[in-house]
Amino acid sequence: MQFIRTQHDLWHTRVGEDGPLAHPQPYGHALLTLEQWHAVRDTWPTHFATGVILPNTADVAQLAADLPRLKLIALEFPKWVDGRAYSQARVLRTRHRFEGEVRAVGEVLVDMVPLLARCGFDTAKLRADQNLESAQRALDFFAGHYQGDAVQPQPAFARDLGRELARHHARRSEEAAQFAGHGI
Amino acid sequence: MYAYTDFDRQFVRARAAQFRDQLDRNLKGELGDEEFRPLRLQNGWYVQRHAPMLRVAVPYGELNATQLRQLARIAREHDQGYGHFTTRQNLQFNWIPLTQAADVMDKLAAVDMHGIQTSGNCIRNITTDALAGIAADEQIDPRPYCEVLRQWSTLHPEFAFLPRKFKIAVTGATEDRAAIAWHDIGLRLLKNAAGEVGFKVLVGGGMGRTPVIASEISEFVPWQQILVFIEAIVRVYNRFGRRDNAYKARIKILVRAEGQKFFDAVAAEFRQILEDDVEGGAHLIPQAEFDRVAASFVRPAGIKPATLGIAPAGDDTDRPLAYTRWLERNVHAHQVSGYRAVTLSLKRAGQPPGDVTADQMDQAAALSDNFSLGELRVTHDQNLLLPWVRETELLALWKAAKAAGFATPNIGLITDMINCPGGDFCALANARSIPVAAAITERFHDLDAVYDIGDIDLHISGCINSCGHHHSGHIGILGVDKDGSEWYQVTLAGSDGSTLSGPAVAGKVIGPSFAADEVPDVIEALIDTYRANRASGERFIDTVRRIGIAPFKAAADAQRTSTATASTHQAVAA
Repeated sequence: MQFIRTQHDLWHTRVGEDGPLAHPQPYGHALLTLEQWHAVRDTWPTHFATGVILPNTADVAQLAADLPRLKLIALEFPKWVDGRAYSQARVLRTRHRFEGEVRAVGEVLVDMVPLLARCGFDTAKLRADQNLESAQRALDFFAGHYQGDAVQPQPAFARDLGRELARHHARRSEEAAQFAGHGI
Repeated sequence: MYAYTDFDRQFVRARAAQFRDQLDRNLKGELGDEEFRPLRLQNGWYVQRHAPMLRVAVPYGELNATQLRQLARIAREHDQGYGHFTTRQNLQFNWIPLTQAADVMDKLAAVDMHGIQTSGNCIRNITTDALAGIAADEQIDPRPYCEVLRQWSTLHPEFAFLPRKFKIAVTGATEDRAAIAWHDIGLRLLKNAAGEVGFKVLVGGGMGRTPVIASEISEFVPWQQILVFIEAIVRVYNRFGRRDNAYKARIKILVRAEGQKFFDAVAAEFRQILEDDVEGGAHLIPQAEFDRVAASFVRPAGIKPATLGIAPAGDDTDRPLAYTRWLERNVHAHQVSGYRAVTLSLKRAGQPPGDVTADQMDQAAALSDNFSLGELRVTHDQNLLLPWVRETELLALWKAAKAAGFATPNIGLITDMINCPGGDFCALANARSIPVAAAITERFHDLDAVYDIGDIDLHISGCINSCGHHHSGHIGILGVDKDGSEWYQVTLAGSDGSTLSGPAVAGKVIGPSFAADEVPDVIEALIDTYRANRASGERFIDTVRRIGIAPFKAAADAQRTSTATASTHQAVAA
């Protein structure tokens, strides 16, 4: 899971004083609203990296035909407790086999990060006040989960849990060893 | 009982560690209270009137003596020395300071317990028949399926922030002791004509402000496919359930609004998971996994069916009446000849329904060690149950249970009421429910009278959230708030779906709300009306159904004193 900082973000929206421009001119790493995308789709050059922001009320299936042209889909969390985008991401990955970037935008908080990762998000734009270290730490509490997800489709009952646990513990002790001798 | 694997054990410890991290961030100000709230809720931590409340998960109601002793220890060391069993087979503590929350989660994890998803807008603790695996009328033991469902739903990443809470109940017996039609998903295990096991699936039941009985969405889903089918239901709900109004956010509202369209959407989603998704069949349950889980639910070693001619306890020919009544009310038929299931009544004068002190928890643990192989169940109607009692030991158990205060022979009777903690504890409540329960218990203190009244479901909720299941009571009492004072709406003829109560249905309001001090008189008037009108062998609910609610309403209205000018309170009843 990669955390995007606005100042380093390659992707840019085209917004005017009255909201998103109806017909933006083509540019690279364009992050378009669904309406913008629909307006320019037929004329938009294929060599530009293009992304679409999907509202959480949209059916991801409507983008199915466009997915090969899209490098990024941004899914919105208007409120962090509104969980619709988790289902959108899962379906994008497992049903439509989207292999580009799936990004969480909106009110994205530290404690959503493990859920985001498992539902198929690979980047997240955390709300500005969120602590990156805490977000990183949030990703590493569990050695594995019961049910399959977008990253690990197999549920626990189909996996080798002994091996999984051993790997988790080994990684944990490796991390601990790195800190050994650094003093308190 | 399900035996934790190393994976299960490290999982609850990881959850406890994760919660400690969240709590630390909250206490040092990095994580604000508002944003900590949904996180603590999903670990069972509410903030109540006096202190946080912790709801501990008791998966499908199964508990062992070691766990109960640990709960007693937590009650002593962190709470004010008691806990409360709920209708969802869980246990609640009321007085634990939030700063001790992480320590308590560690103590729970040490005995394979947790508070995962006992609250929050996620899939809650799965409930089932308290007699699962031992009921004489059981076709299929629901517990292995409950455990598979528990694992699947635990920290499901897609369904942690649903529009609203989501409750699943399962039964595998003729008698529905899990009130499945009142749940978001109700599952009935059955066999099809070919003898294969599957589930009849109901969806969209629920209480609250708009009581709805669940509709059948599938008459038979093969057991192997149940996770996929439920995933389809929950995904459609996550996508389309309303989020603009908490009172309209449960799946029942979506099912009612969309009807067949909802069923079609689920059918399409189910098909797409299996046909289109990467590894879409990964959650079809393999026989080997079912067998692995089911191995935890085999009869404990040492259970030996009695051969012919069960000898009843030899010295009970001259039984005391109390013992006879206890045998009649608290002792239940069992699948294994020579055994009985025994309810330890948590409904007695002087203590709120479902409450247990730390000492009582220890005593119940001791009874389970001595008489039931160290196993207990929490029942949906807030009692404890010993699942493995030898018939030959019933008299000894009765004496021991009586000494410990668990032998009130009132199961299924008026004093065995369901009751939420209400306004004394709960921040959501509009009115107190414990004093109402206490006043009714006091009014019906005479056991002969209670026996004469016979089977009746009295359910009391302190607010419309319906934790006390007032909608499904033969008599339901609902606390409402008007102008800052407490009023009580009374309903009649509700049903949880049991044979005795008839098909699940919400009770009907019998008029404007009553004042607290009128409630015991009203209940007594309702009971007197029944007694005056009952035909031979007729139970309360039968008489209400036969003669209608009008005579009951008239009798109740005659008890109005402070609400004599009933018209001024019409709004309360609305």
